[in-house]
This record gives sequence, C-alpha cells and structure tokens, in this order.
Amino acid sequence: MGKLLRYKKDAFPIMNEHSHYDEIFERMEELEAKGEILIHRITEENQPVEVLTRTGRIKLIPTNKLWHHKSCGQCGNIPGYPASVFWLMNKFGLDYLNEPHQTSCTAWNYHGSGTSNPVALAAVWLRNMHQAWQNGYYPLIHCGTSFGSYKETRELLIMNKDLRDAVRKILAKLGRLTDDGRIVVPQEIVHYSEWVHAMRYKIKELYEKEGKPKGIDVSNIKVAIHNACHTYKMIADDYPYDPEVFNGQRPAASTAVMQALGAKVVDYSTWYDCCGFGFRHILTEREFTRSFAIQRKLKVIAEEIGADVIITHDTGCTTTFEKNQWIGKAHNMYHPVAVMSDVMFSALACGAHPFKVVQLYWNCSNYESLLEKMGIKNWRELKKEWEDAVKYIGELEKEGRYDELMEFFKEYDLYEPYSRTGNGKPRASATSNRPLFSS
Amino acid sequence: MDGHKYGYNLPISDKTKSVPWEEKKRIVEEVKADFRFKEYLFGCLNCGVCTASCPSNRFFDYSPREIVQRFLEEDVEVLYDMMHEYIWACSQCFTCWIRCPFVNNPGGLVAIMREVAVRNAFEATKDLLKPYGRVLLKVMTTGNQLSADMLQPDFFPDWGPKMQDNMENLRAKRMAIPFDVGKSVKTAWEVSLETAMEMYTIWRETGIFDMLEKIDPNLFNVIMDIVEENEERYEELYEEED
Repeated sequence: MGKLLRYKKDAFPIMNEHSHYDEIFERMEELEAKGEILIHRITEENQPVEVLTRTGRIKLIPTNKLWHHKSCGQCGNIPGYPASVFWLMNKFGLDYLNEPHQTSCTAWNYHGSGTSNPVALAAVWLRNMHQAWQNGYYPLIHCGTSFGSYKETRELLIMNKDLRDAVRKILAKLGRLTDDGRIVVPQEIVHYSEWVHAMRYKIKELYEKEGKPKGIDVSNIKVAIHNACHTYKMIADDYPYDPEVFNGQRPAASTAVMQALGAKVVDYSTWYDCCGFGFRHILTEREFTRSFAIQRKLKVIAEEIGADVIITHDTGCTTTFEKNQWIGKAHNMYHPVAVMSDVMFSALACGAHPFKVVQLYWNCSNYESLLEKMGIKNWRELKKEWEDAVKYIGELEKEGRYDELMEFFKEYDLYEPYSRTGNGKPRASATSNRPLFSS
Repeated sequence: MDGHKYGYNLPISDKTKSVPWEEKKRIVEEVKADFRFKEYLFGCLNCGVCTASCPSNRFFDYSPREIVQRFLEEDVEVLYDMMHEYIWACSQCFTCWIRCPFVNNPGGLVAIMREVAVRNAFEATKDLLKPYGRVLLKVMTTGNQLSADMLQPDFFPDWGPKMQDNMENLRAKRMAIPFDVGKSVKTAWEVSLETAMEMYTIWRETGIFDMLEKIDPNLFNVIMDIVEENEERYEELYEEED
C-alpha cells in the first residue's frame, strides 16, 4: 500500500500516464506523512479485487466488510436497488454494515439548486467517511452522484489547504477527526457498480448455480447499457475501463457483468448522452427531461437495437428512463422497455424474488415481458404473493398484532434482524435508538 | 449593446442594464475568486465540442462554450446577465468536462455561478427555485433529498397510471421492503437524530442556513421550526441520559 499500482503499457488502448488525477494519491501519502490526514486503507480483510482504469492505474475494489453509503433516490424510490445489493452480499456471505447514522451526500441538491458550497459538501462527505472508519467498515457508495461528488471533493480537498483547514474546524466540532486531529480520507472512493464489476465472475457462478436451475436464461436478452454521467464523466480517470469491454472505449462496469452473465450487450449511437435527469430539471423542467429521455435515448435504443432492457448504474438515470415512457404516448413516441440497474438484473438472473427482493412493483415501466423472456414465467404468481404479503402486513400493523408481524417477517425472505419500538412495533431500523421520525 | 458580437444570442435584459457596472463587476469577481475557478478554466480552442454534446443545448438556448468564452473575454455584462436564468438550463452532466481537449469544466463554472447567484439572492434565482422548495425542506431537515412520501401521483401525472398503484397502501409497502433501515416513509432510510444534529451543525457553520434565509425567508422559517424542534428533542434525550 502507499505506492501507485500500474499495469503494463501494452495492456490498454487509452493510455495517459500523465493523468493529473493520479497525483492525488501521491499527495494523499504526503499529507498522511505530515500528519494532516489519515488514509482509511483497504486491507486484506476487505478482500480487494484489482480493476483497471483508463490511465494505467490499478484501482483496488474492496468486496467485503463494507459500510453502505445508501442513496436517497434509491431507497426512497427504487427500494429493490439497494435490496438487490444486500441480497447478493448475503448470498456471498459477506460482512457489511447498513445503519441509520448516515446522511445523503447532498450533492443532488447542490447540482440542482446551488444551495450549498464546497466546505459543506466536504464536511458532509468526511463526516460520513469518519462514521465508516470508526466502525471498522470500508465505505461503499451506492449513488453515482455521491460517488462523482465525493471524487471531486477529494481532489479539491487534497489539492487545497484552505479547504482542509476550513473543514477541519467543522469536523472538530462534530467530533469527526481522529484522536490526534487528522481528517479521515478513504484510500479509494468506491461505487457499488465497481463492486458489481469486481464480483462479476462470482455473480456468474451464482447465476449458474441458482438461477439456471430455476429455468432462468439471459442469453437471449438484448441489453442497452446506459453509463451514468457522474460515475465516468466526473473525475473521468477514476472509473473502471477494460480492454475486453468495447476495446477499452466505454466504461467497463455494468457492461462487463452483463457479458459475464452471457446477455447480449448491443452498442447504440447515443451511448454517451446523459439521460436528461438534470437534477433540477426532473422536478421543475420536466418537459426537458422527458423530451431528452425519449428523443435521445428511448427512441434511439428502440429503433437501433430494440433492446429488451436498459441497464443503468445510477439512481437518477433509472428513474428518468423508467418514469418517462408512458407520457410518450401523447406524441406517438411510446417506446416501452424495461429499465433496471445492473445489480437488480444480476439478482433476478441469480434467482432473487422479482417483487420481494427486486421490488419491481415500484417500477412504472414494462418489466413483465423481460421477466417472461428471462424464463421467470411464474411472475404473476410471484407478484400475487407479494401483494398478499403487503395486504397482510398492513392488516397486522393496523390491528397492532406486532408479535405476528415479527413472526411473519421471519418467514418473509427476512435476512436482517429487526428490532421493535417501545410499544412492540417493528422499527424501520434495528440500530437507531433515536430516529428523526418515529417509525 | 444588446447581446454580444461573438455569439451570445440573447438580448441583455433591461434589469441587467439598470444595474451599476461596479455591482456587476463585483458579482463576476466573486465567481472568479472561488478557489475552484482556476481549476475549471484554462484555454479555449472555440472548437464547440462541449456545446455539440451538451444535452441542454438541444432544448434550451444554452451553450457551455459561451460560458467559457465569456469568462476568457471578461465580458462582465453578459456574464452577469447569464447568471439570472441562462445558467439554470445546464443539466450538470459534465459531458462538457470530459469532452474538452483543454480540460475546461463549463459545468463546474456554472455550479460556481449558481452558488454566487443564490448567495446574492437574485430575484430570478428565487423564482427558479420556488418549485424546488420541497427538496430543500427535506434535505435541510432530514439529510435525505428524497423520500417515498414525496412521490404523490398528483405531482407526477406524466409518470403514468402505475404511479397511482405504487402509492396506495404506502406504509405497508414500505414495511415490506426487505432490508433494515429502509422501511421509513418520511425519509429514504431511517436517519438517526444524532446524524441530523451533525448535519444542522454543518449547515450553520458553512453559512447554508444564512443562504436559505436570503433566498426564501418563508421556507427558511419552516425549516428552522423543524430544526429547532429536533434540537430540543435531542437536548431532552441527552439530559434524560445524564
């Protein structure tokens, strides 16, 4: 540790050994030596996997003992997204911590409204990173915007003493420095899609072991990949590329796991375009968001490749493509297609329940024909199973039959312990003693 | 002069014309004084790659190349004018940044300009951010930017009929989410009170609450009521423990 790992020159078509960004890692070592920061190192316990980036730097992706830095858009709107991450981690027997002592990155708000500043963004980031370090778990960032914002904030922090000094004062007030007054900075900032990328061959093994025996087959599924802008355009040098994925000319994450599963990844002409989310736009300039999503992506994907599914790796893109299809009917531009993240598709392929785990019920787009084509022919029964479960949970809670509710959860695909409030009600969290809102 | 001979097509607004030159200069200098400015602006070939690949350029009168060029030209009048509405068209996707041969970051420049526009409480900015108030309320008070209860079908009729189904019996559906911390309705995940306290400290120490007060005093009052209520509750719990 401490030295930049590089791969052979002839291994990669896009080479730039003079990447400005790579200097960050050398500067981090210097700052640690001076006692300004403490680098939260990836250790053997994290079972790191090496992935390639486009500058020749090898990035270490920790795969175990991870602290889940959740995404508010995913948890609030696409709950099957994080649920699929947890489900796969449980399947692999990995250790992780999913707790309530975490804020959002607040970068969606910053990019949408400008109502923050670099010191606040850095303080929020470093407070969350300290929480992970304090608990002995390595942070895994679920949201693409959090990942992009944190990468950029790290560059600004490492290169700028004024920012470090400003944020150190705030972290001191919060009790978020080390005992000897240092700022905790993770060795690598890691997105969940990088974890999926690093785990792709294990996911393939699970698909063959548990998905295929259930009749699931993804070899006929035509996939369009949409890479999220904030994962690979913000601090572009710090995201996986691989010579085996489009000859190194597209980001490797998401595409590589689809290829490992044997799905048909098909290229299309507007692969580089954003989704139209726009942060502020999806809420307050919706004509733009839906026009862009339909005309530059959904229509192009339908006409050029007729994909069965658009695979994403971020919150906003999934929401944008998923929610802005139906309205196309108003202009005879309806191009229905399933939309889900790489990890949701991976979980489905490995046999996860489409509704109890992958929570497709929340989707507005047409996922039904995709499930049929994947060989999940009994999706109607599975959906009914979930609907009955929701109805039953509602009744039990309404009648205050909490003991039965807890028993039911035990049968109901439960893989994390739940605690109860003072009156016996199951809590939203097992680990928070003081929720901001009561459950 | 209306507009700019080098390509800024929009006429300079009467409002901008009426503002004293010194004030316009002060605002532009505030943008240039940001420590990120020198990291985001280098040379410019005027090649237009940024604008050609800009999603906002396809639907708005907006060009990242213009942002870069106006700064290089030090065109105070146009830059000041852009800071009222023009910059809010940017999607913040940073396609311009990855594409630029000079590694300019027009999206980053826009982020600084927006921040300065908010800090100086421009009227146009106040109007633009009004519909965004729900997100500000949520993020400032809970640390989450989005939660399940914000997605009422009435607000999103264009998302189709499945939205109506999704939001029925919401509490039970959230209870059926199979991972810890994720069952909450008012927040994306259950945020602990201690965490919210830390976040309020960050907002105070970094001037975010002050910024909000200037841009939307009514929203600020609502936010502070919730913040103070939570702080009191935290104090009470703290005292109980002692």
